[in-house]
Amino acid sequence: MTCIEPLQPEDVHDPELAALIGRCRRLGVPDAVFPGILAHVPAYAKALLNAMLLSHTGGGVDHRLKEIIRIQLTRRSGDAYFAGLRSVEALKNGLDEATIKNGCDDYERSPRFSEAEKWALRYADQMYMNPASVDADFYAGLKQHYSEAQIMELGAFIALHYGMQVFMRTLGTPGEQ
Amino acid sequence: MTEAQIDDGIANYQASPRWSDAEKLALRYSELMATNPEAIGPAFYGELRRCYSEPEIVELGSFIGFNIGYHTFFGTLKFYPMFAPDGRLVSQAESARIYGEAPASLAANEDAGT
Repeated sequence: MTCIEPLQPEDVHDPELAALIGRCRRLGVPDAVFPGILAHVPAYAKALLNAMLLSHTGGGVDHRLKEIIRIQLTRRSGDAYFAGLRSVEALKNGLDEATIKNGCDDYERSPRFSEAEKWALRYADQMYMNPASVDADFYAGLKQHYSEAQIMELGAFIALHYGMQVFMRTLGTPGEQ
Repeated sequence: MTEAQIDDGIANYQASPRWSDAEKLALRYSELMATNPEAIGPAFYGELRRCYSEPEIVELGSFIGFNIGYHTFFGTLKFYPMFAPDGRLVSQAESARIYGEAPASLAANEDAGT
């Protein structure tokens, strides 16, 4: 169980929030647990869940790549809950566990990823492991493959999802004592 | 809120008489989540509950997590304050000249050895 119990769907009375929780559940990331915890503060829950869904599924960077990045980030945050979730949409569009594992463990040498995808995976990998290495030269490398809008999309996605993983890690993993 | 209070809340909150026990616990929540999240478990949440409601804890926790994520991202972008100390709107080049090559927040981290 988690240190803060998630609200159950019947306890969420704000229709906008209930609809967002439904969208999360259909995507699979996050499932009902994290939104149910955030739902203790409905205004925060709506803002954060909206941002999490938009940054994960919208924009101009492939959703499957962002799904690998999100899972890779759980290695840094140490959060088992988000590590175990999978985007239904990404899986439906061909993402498989072997590619996810490769993207988390050995993307630099992997033939599965293009140079652009490796830069995005490196961006997430370095952001919290060695942020000093993400400098002007690093951004120049990113700009060879991505527009500035796409770089901001990736950076904001990485920052938001990592931050929520760090918070969730402290709350514990659902189902564990 | 003064700069002295902010500095005290960052560097000296545990020993400081400025902060209530509830405020010290919130500051500790933030510090641990950034530096030692494994130290935050059921016992720590039990302590938080003595001072805060569950909605207040979720508010604090999500706010802290959000800031942990974004401050590191912003740090990689190396941007500078938009305003000079006298309140003028300045360019990034002028702001860098005013505030120094390293942004103040990063300089503070380097001073603290993090």
